Amino acid sequence: MTAQEFKEFVRANGIKKAAKEVDIVTTGTFGAMCSSGAYLNFGHSDPPIKMQKIWIDGIPAQAGLAAVDAYIGATALDETNNMIHGGGHVIEDLVRGKALRLRATSYGTDCYPRKEIDTYISLRTINQAVLMNVRNCYQNYAVATNSSPKTMYTYMGKLLPEFGNATFSSAGEISPLINDPYYRTIGIGTRIFLGGGQGHVIWEGTQFNPGAPRTPNGVPKRPAGSLAVLGDLKQMTPDFLRGLTLSRYGSTLGIGIGIPIPILDEEMARYCAVTNDDIQAPVFDYGQQSRNRPVLRDVSYADLRSGEITIKGKQVPTSSLSSLYKAKQISEILKSWIMKGEFTIQEPIQRFPMDRVLRNLDVRTEREALQ
Amino acid sequence: MKTKVVLTFSPEASNQPITHNLIAKHHLLVNILRAEIDEVGGKMVLELSGKADDIRKGIDYLKDNSVSVRPIKEGVRRDDDACTHCGMCISICPTKALSIDQKSGKVSFNEEKCVACGVCIDACPPRAMEILI
Repeated sequence: MTAQEFKEFVRANGIKKAAKEVDIVTTGTFGAMCSSGAYLNFGHSDPPIKMQKIWIDGIPAQAGLAAVDAYIGATALDETNNMIHGGGHVIEDLVRGKALRLRATSYGTDCYPRKEIDTYISLRTINQAVLMNVRNCYQNYAVATNSSPKTMYTYMGKLLPEFGNATFSSAGEISPLINDPYYRTIGIGTRIFLGGGQGHVIWEGTQFNPGAPRTPNGVPKRPAGSLAVLGDLKQMTPDFLRGLTLSRYGSTLGIGIGIPIPILDEEMARYCAVTNDDIQAPVFDYGQQSRNRPVLRDVSYADLRSGEITIKGKQVPTSSLSSLYKAKQISEILKSWIMKGEFTIQEPIQRFPMDRVLRNLDVRTEREALQ
Repeated sequence: MKTKVVLTFSPEASNQPITHNLIAKHHLLVNILRAEIDEVGGKMVLELSGKADDIRKGIDYLKDNSVSVRPIKEGVRRDDDACTHCGMCISICPTKALSIDQKSGKVSFNEEKCVACGVCIDACPPRAMEILI
């Protein structure tokens, strides 16, 4: 059943019965996930080219791999920094089946004599188009607000002055890693719903930080775990993969991810019974432009979903950056795939390391970097 | 009754006291929700309250003075295919024209409440909101 249905089942029947009768709980999330991108293999031209600089629909893609491999990042922008059209939008346009202009230049070698190419590609013409995201599906996230006297445009959206609003980004109680807080069933190799197709968890996500403070029921109170995921772009749909613009911040990619969680025992049932009342998130003042922003307070997802929280005595309206509507849709679709036998559960082939710590980037000397 | 209208006028028309005339000659209560003027003319969003007959006559008066009058519904439009129902717009909308249904998670846009202020336009990540005035 879906995560939503499971919570209702537990409320009505208790943990023991739920653990005995329910096999799988399907979770879902849809949100802006910046550490995303796609690697592509264009095939070889005649005469062949070893691409050194690459633009797809005007957006620079990363060369520096073999001759015709490239990686396009979701936040890549062109030289004009036009944020309405960035890497995320290029990936969406590919998924929509559009033909996009590909330009590349090179210095030419004996084996790759060509120095430039200007052509069109689509998902039909290229060999591989694989979404490979190094940090998606954060286990929990910050709540952003702004104490300063002017409107701020951030990766957490438009923040109105003087605590005019607060934004958050998580599907809360139906979000995947919230329901498996210690990564017992989600690990390397787990098969997932990714952008409308089927993909896999390929590693822990970057900045994986399992040691973040947790509530007694195990749910992290700060950003903690995250996932690196991979899947075939050719299977995906724009319903669950969308180029997004966060004004004056840049472009990004909205991605839908759904993960099935097997109810192995009563412990897993207890984890999946978590509700928005049990999930806490820290409110940060983005008016303070520093890495060490103070936490103004902790709030629950039930508070955030109520539409208003209290900050320093002020009633502040809340907005979500992730779509609960799409998250629910994803958990429903994943459930129907499993019921029809179109999606099989894959046990992780390796669990995540629990000893990872989160490090910061400081300006260091060569000697300090070795300590 | 009450109605919200979007006015666009040429530089010539901007020299006339049209809001004053709506109030004094047509006995309407006028609430100016938005007003801007530049070298090519002006735009104004008004809420008119009064008798139905007076509102009709007031609008006729505007049209006779080369002011184009459109209903507010043509002020801001949402592209329903583009909307992902994230809800970013909800906390910044000053009139609560945008709201989320907690059960379904769907975001709805109530055009009646919209005053075409436009704060949602650049806040919308999939760029689903468009201002037409």
